[in-house]
Amino acid sequence: MVENARSINIAASILLIIGIVYIVGPLYLTLSTASQSYEYMLRNGLAWVPGGELFANMGKVINDTRIPIQMLNSMIVAFSNALATCALSFLSAYAIVYFRIRWAGVVFALILATIMLPLDIRVITTYQVASNIFSPLNAVLDVTGLNDLIANAFGAPVHLELSVLNTHFGLIAPLVAHGTGTFLFRQFFLTLPKDLFKAARMDGAGPIRFLFDILLPLARTSVASLFVLTFLSGWTQYLWPLVGASTPDMQTAVVGLARLVPDADGQVPDFPMIMAGAVLVSLVPLSMIALLQRFLVQGLVLSEK
Amino acid sequence: MSSESSLFSHRWLPLLLAAPLMLLIVLFFYVPVFQAFYWSFFLEQPFGGGSEFVGFQNFARVLSDPEFWMAGWRTIVFMLTASSLAVIVPLMLAIAADRKIALSIPARNILVWPKGIAGASIGVVFAFIFNPFVGLMAPLNTLVPGLWNPGIDGTDAFITLVAAHVWSGIPFNFVILLAGLRSIPHTMHQAAAMDGAGPWRRIFDVQLPLIMPQLFLTFVLEFTESITSVFALIDTITGGGPGGSTTLLVYKIYVDGFRGFDLSGASTQTAILMVFVLLLAACQFVFLGRRINYER
Amino acid sequence: MTAIDTAIRAAAADIELIGVTKAYDAKTVVIPQLDVALRPGEFTVVLGPSGCGKSTLLQMIAGLERVSGGKILIGGREVQNLEPKHRGCAMVFQNYALYPHMTVAENMAYSLKVAGVSKAERAERVATVAKMLGLADFLARKPGQLSGGQRQRVAIGRAIIREPGVLLFDEPLSNLDAQLRHDMRVELADLHRRIGATSVFVTHDQVEAMTLADRILILNKGHIEQFDTPKAIYHHPASIFVAKFIGSPPMNILAVTGDGSALRLADGQVVANFAGKGSFQLGIRPEDITVKAGGPIKAQIRYREDLGSHEILEADIAGQPLRIATPFGAEIDPTSTLSLSFSQARLHLFDNGTSRAISNAFDQTKSAPASVKEYQ
Repeated sequence: MVENARSINIAASILLIIGIVYIVGPLYLTLSTASQSYEYMLRNGLAWVPGGELFANMGKVINDTRIPIQMLNSMIVAFSNALATCALSFLSAYAIVYFRIRWAGVVFALILATIMLPLDIRVITTYQVASNIFSPLNAVLDVTGLNDLIANAFGAPVHLELSVLNTHFGLIAPLVAHGTGTFLFRQFFLTLPKDLFKAARMDGAGPIRFLFDILLPLARTSVASLFVLTFLSGWTQYLWPLVGASTPDMQTAVVGLARLVPDADGQVPDFPMIMAGAVLVSLVPLSMIALLQRFLVQGLVLSEK
Repeated sequence: MSSESSLFSHRWLPLLLAAPLMLLIVLFFYVPVFQAFYWSFFLEQPFGGGSEFVGFQNFARVLSDPEFWMAGWRTIVFMLTASSLAVIVPLMLAIAADRKIALSIPARNILVWPKGIAGASIGVVFAFIFNPFVGLMAPLNTLVPGLWNPGIDGTDAFITLVAAHVWSGIPFNFVILLAGLRSIPHTMHQAAAMDGAGPWRRIFDVQLPLIMPQLFLTFVLEFTESITSVFALIDTITGGGPGGSTTLLVYKIYVDGFRGFDLSGASTQTAILMVFVLLLAACQFVFLGRRINYER
Repeated sequence: MTAIDTAIRAAAADIELIGVTKAYDAKTVVIPQLDVALRPGEFTVVLGPSGCGKSTLLQMIAGLERVSGGKILIGGREVQNLEPKHRGCAMVFQNYALYPHMTVAENMAYSLKVAGVSKAERAERVATVAKMLGLADFLARKPGQLSGGQRQRVAIGRAIIREPGVLLFDEPLSNLDAQLRHDMRVELADLHRRIGATSVFVTHDQVEAMTLADRILILNKGHIEQFDTPKAIYHHPASIFVAKFIGSPPMNILAVTGDGSALRLADGQVVANFAGKGSFQLGIRPEDITVKAGGPIKAQIRYREDLGSHEILEADIAGQPLRIATPFGAEIDPTSTLSLSFSQARLHLFDNGTSRAISNAFDQTKSAPASVKEYQ
């Protein structure tokens, strides 16, 4: 268009510079401080110029803290969360969209409702459930009176107990119990032409064949987007891993990082070492964003529609 | 054309397909939600020490606690300030990045980076950057002593939280709003230009009205997000202090439940917070949602 | 060519629908009751406006929609409760519905793969079909890299590769431009002649119906209005609906009254001799009206459209619109009153209440030569 957009373009450029500085600034300060020594930091405060101590500080993190094993935990949690969410959401969305079932709407509503109340809000009682995942079953047996019958017959009521606290499963499962993935896949399935499904049926494909031959290959980008999104979400979780794992060796890297900062006031903490830890902890998700940005952006957009 | 009967008609297969996710959701979503409400009517002893039905006593106790009201008030203040900023800042950035200028390409890339940084990580970083003695403000503090100290001044601590929250919230809101802006047909801009509207004016007359659905959605999600995800920031930046000035409800629930072992009190507050979140979302949908759906 | 012709040659099956009904609930009845029999190898075009139930009918034959009642027999076998894959039908969809992630060859071979046909045989059949449809050079491409006409051919290839007894077409040409549509029409007709499968072709395009069909089945609100050859449908429409649906511009329908000796318009003009009494609808095609000096019927001209080969005159007769097709170059004074004559042998009379055609309505009047002459 022939248009004088000089003023707005200058304003937009300035705005974007401010935005980029706002985002990159803290990251840069983190990296530069991580590359300076503790003494330098005590003398000069945060470092504006990078120094040569980055690997020394990282070495401290790796050797003196539990961050390495915690990063492994984070990897397990993030990866399993992404994989399980993709698989289970895909299957449930498939059931909802492609099968003639009366309760499809209800099931979808039940799944979708999970988006309204995030895990952080219900952490207290989720913790209780995780401390004995059979507690709902026990309660049902008690309330229905079945346990009285069992007690009469076998001498004692059934009281099952299994804690998933401090296990990888316990860290992962509550994260998977979320509706975004189902929502995303349902939206995707609904955009596919109806005739594609009919053509596959005419070609003789049953539910399993249709799922693997047609739907899954077509949904590749959606799956990848959701995978990136849930991986990042799993990696960056804080409150649940904080309460769900009590020993340092089960905690995730983000929790471990936060624990590097001493609670008590007084001595200035070893910020260069902590910042080196922050760099280490953010390395995996940031490189994922760098490599798979396309999927991340698409995932964010898809999860909204 | 309805194609209801052309779907697969298997009876057990769909149940089987949906069962794993449904099981997890029931176990780790519906049971905890139900239990929060259930426990808010019982006095629970920690470590399985038995429970006792107490009716509304828990609510009476919580609601008569000034700490609860303070935390609730802070939650609302934080929600309004932080979430507004966390939408408006990305909105301005998205409008800027939607223009064909040299910086918009790198900006679109860089502005999603925070998505990979955990709230707790950036909390640790911000705690350092805003540290009064060694951080960004340290030189100013030597000039004007006491100008900035989030360790003592509750407002400073609050500002740090907001800054960190907005930082974390930029990627999602930026991407959604930019996608909304980019879905506006180019002809719409051309038509407005033919009508004499310049690029500044089109922001208000064309772009903002047309991305209302996305704007509404980011607000709805941001409200809930600001209430809950702030936990990681509080725990790493302020620890709820100084003097409880950054103890928001989600943090108070955690402290009451996991440090004070007051399960009933924490459950009651959880129940109240849940109702608040749900009501908030319902209100937004009823009052805002229905007005802004355009046929395109 | 003969080798190919014998390679893909279906054992055409007849299709019979007995008392078929389709209703989604008590209020939305798509097909109240349908009885129709299609002969083996016949090319039937199902024609009707959107929402008439023609697509539903096709999908019920295919097994993509369940029948609410009645029976469907294909080759004498009851199929209404069978899965699509067990009915021996193949289908060409409106938007091709090609699998975007598969190559042309994979698309065409997919049904064979599902059926467990060996890889070697699949490749052989794909090669045969591809040669037949001129797709041999495109087998490794994905649908996204093909033109509209090529995609259409792949969709057809995918359908015929199984040598189905029944070929179903769901408005397959509606997405093509005019030239391509014409070419595909010719190809389809040729293909049908070579393969010989019983074909059911759903469309709302009367040209496709007229050119492709052995018989046209005209559906209106789930009812059969007429099921007959294109010629019969054009020349002897069974109802006003058919009369107006076929032909372009459509047949004129005029309200007339019989006074025992003639049919009169509202303004008293006599348009035909007729022995009966009462109100009727009179049909006459635009091309069966001639403009000539001294013609007995008068109409006011409103508008003329020059189409090059001929002209369409829009006129007003006794308060009703009337279209007249005149040959190119006819001298017409656009300001004056038109003098017209109706070709008496080509009048159609319809019942005012049922809208059905009254057959042999003019037989008696034809035997009165004196009066007929008067109106020509």
